Amino acid sequence: MSQRSYRRREFLKASAAATLAGTGAFSLARQAFAADPINFFAWSAGVDQVKSHISAFEAKTGLKVAYNNAPWAQYRDTLVTKFVGRAPLDVLWVSDSWLPEWAEAGWLAPIDGYPQLLKYNADVDDFSTQSMMYKGKQYGLTYYTDYMGFFYDEDKLKKAGIGAPPKTWDEVVQQSLKIKKAGLAEYPLMLSMARETWLIEFLSAMVFSHGGRFVDDSGVAVMQDKKRGAHAALSWIVEAVNKHKIVSPACVEIGELNGLKAFTSGNHAFALLGRYRVRTLNDPKQSQIAGRVRQALMPAGPGGSHATVGWNRFYGLTSQAAANKEKAANAVKLIEWFGGKADGKYAFQKLMFMDVGSGFAVKPLFKDAEIIKAYQQYSDIGMYERQQALAKKKDVISPWFGEWDEVNGTAWQAAIVGKSSVDDALRKSADSWNKLRKQG
Amino acid sequence: MSRYDQMSALGLLAPMLVVLLVVAVFPVLYSFWVSLFDLKLTRPHRVPFVWLANYATVFQDPLFWASVWRTTWFTVISVAAIMVIALLAALLLNEEFRGRRFLSAVLLVPWAIPYVANGLMWKWIYDSGYGALNGLLFQLDFIDKYMVWLGDSEKTLALIANAFVWKEVPLATILILVGLKSIPGDLYSAARVDGANVWRRFVHITLPALRPSFMLVLIYEAMMAIRHFDLFFILTEGGPAEASHVLAWEVYVETFRKLSFGTGSALAYIMAILTFLLAFALIRALGKKL
Repeated sequence: MSQRSYRRREFLKASAAATLAGTGAFSLARQAFAADPINFFAWSAGVDQVKSHISAFEAKTGLKVAYNNAPWAQYRDTLVTKFVGRAPLDVLWVSDSWLPEWAEAGWLAPIDGYPQLLKYNADVDDFSTQSMMYKGKQYGLTYYTDYMGFFYDEDKLKKAGIGAPPKTWDEVVQQSLKIKKAGLAEYPLMLSMARETWLIEFLSAMVFSHGGRFVDDSGVAVMQDKKRGAHAALSWIVEAVNKHKIVSPACVEIGELNGLKAFTSGNHAFALLGRYRVRTLNDPKQSQIAGRVRQALMPAGPGGSHATVGWNRFYGLTSQAAANKEKAANAVKLIEWFGGKADGKYAFQKLMFMDVGSGFAVKPLFKDAEIIKAYQQYSDIGMYERQQALAKKKDVISPWFGEWDEVNGTAWQAAIVGKSSVDDALRKSADSWNKLRKQG
Repeated sequence: MSRYDQMSALGLLAPMLVVLLVVAVFPVLYSFWVSLFDLKLTRPHRVPFVWLANYATVFQDPLFWASVWRTTWFTVISVAAIMVIALLAALLLNEEFRGRRFLSAVLLVPWAIPYVANGLMWKWIYDSGYGALNGLLFQLDFIDKYMVWLGDSEKTLALIANAFVWKEVPLATILILVGLKSIPGDLYSAARVDGANVWRRFVHITLPALRPSFMLVLIYEAMMAIRHFDLFFILTEGGPAEASHVLAWEVYVETFRKLSFGTGSALAYIMAILTFLLAFALIRALGKKL
């Protein structure tokens, strides 16, 4: 919808209101304004939970919410098209990966002017808040946060005579070879390296735990530098696949979901997966290794740490809503209701965690008795919190991330399948980054 | 025809002409117009007019030429396989034997399956962990451990071509079968009287008579193969590395992943022109012999 038609609609409403006021029906005119709903768009996750929380919001505030959703796979394209077409959007779920792109395009508005939202930062994990920042401004409140976790099948380790999970990537190799030799798994480590949106999370986890980065603080590519961790991380993967044969060469065709299925079927001893998958891994209805899966800190590479990558999805405020004072005020109320506290509690984050296992960034929930009780049934909440504290935001998030991600994913795969050297792959990726950065 | 008749005809055709202008001509012209701009949806405030720079960018990109080569390879292999298999199937179905009708119905099954369902089915078949292909070969003792199929960049394109051929053979068979049915029986009778054996009848009567069907199948399947996208999207997303990065995939990535509508439109135009040139060359080469 164009700005012109939007103004026309506003004008018609205002005219109607003036006429009604003139005839003494001013209260009806106020209802005409109030009936303009908050347009809330999300991807199709937790739809029932979202709807129930919206109902509570409407009952509490008297405001109306027009909720719509689209599948995650088409979400970015759908939203970009809506933005370009100026469709009415006020509040929406945003992935940290798209923030610079949408902020640069002027579609998202910062929330720095709303202290009632910023006060929640005190309760939120730092990497999560950082994931919502772009050029020094904050663009939302967290909806869901999680990170890449390292999981192992305790049974297989015991059968192979291994007492404790690996602390370093070297130990992963040693233990995997032992497990392989014992005939417990042909490819002990499950890595998903298929070309999909998850790939950058897997790669970032490997790079960060090797003490590396893709780009430095000033945004210049350092991934090609042999002394930095990206080179070590890719070298480790290439050797794991081709030299040690502890990772299947089919990893380049295995996406996150298929990787989960492979691990739950008992084919592997170790896996890198989204932390929230632990609920499925230890669910007897969905996993053949239920009850045997434990989480360990991300193994560290030489000179690295137990760092991992974290991601964040958040409630964003659109520029078109921010431009209208009344709309903005209502939208901010909705953002607070979902991303902050509702009736004094982090109700929605808790609801999503309890119902669908979504991770949260608000630290007080780690002390919530119900959450602790629920989580302890399938994993260790202490480990959950410890690893989350070591999570870092992706360093490649930029307006050109989507374009670079295509080149980078291809380059890493080429090295893994032996079509290029590690050096060439990372140089190609770095060249692409620097070229896109220069173009702006 | 009187002026009144002419005006009446134009009046009756006008609605359809308007529809065609709106849904076909305008989008085609508009997409060419778009291809002259550096249009990125995520950069809506800066859309410079760049003349033919998008085309120059495409032609200077080594990935474009690599994808042209892969598309050519995929097209040649697929179309050749389709033609041979469809000809054999059509010759079989042209004979009278018990179960012919049943076999004809079975042959149509792949054609009736939507492309997306076909892609998902082959994804299951080729899966390196639980795929039917590995299961079958393992049980038959042809392999001693599960193989990597789509993840092996040396095999990827051939495997996708196989899935494409499986889907396309039924239609090609029907088209060739129609050609076979239209050959007058008298020609074969006369050839028999002249002492021509089966092979000579096939070479001197059947094959020449099938030229129109062959040309139709050749042009149609070549265009389908060049433009094919679904299987690449579902099975490999252009990977592993760039092993299945064909032209249609390049158009998709440029347009819908990078949201670069300018370059994407230029690529789409290049692909359309290449397809047109191929069809034109085939008609010129084979049409004379009809």
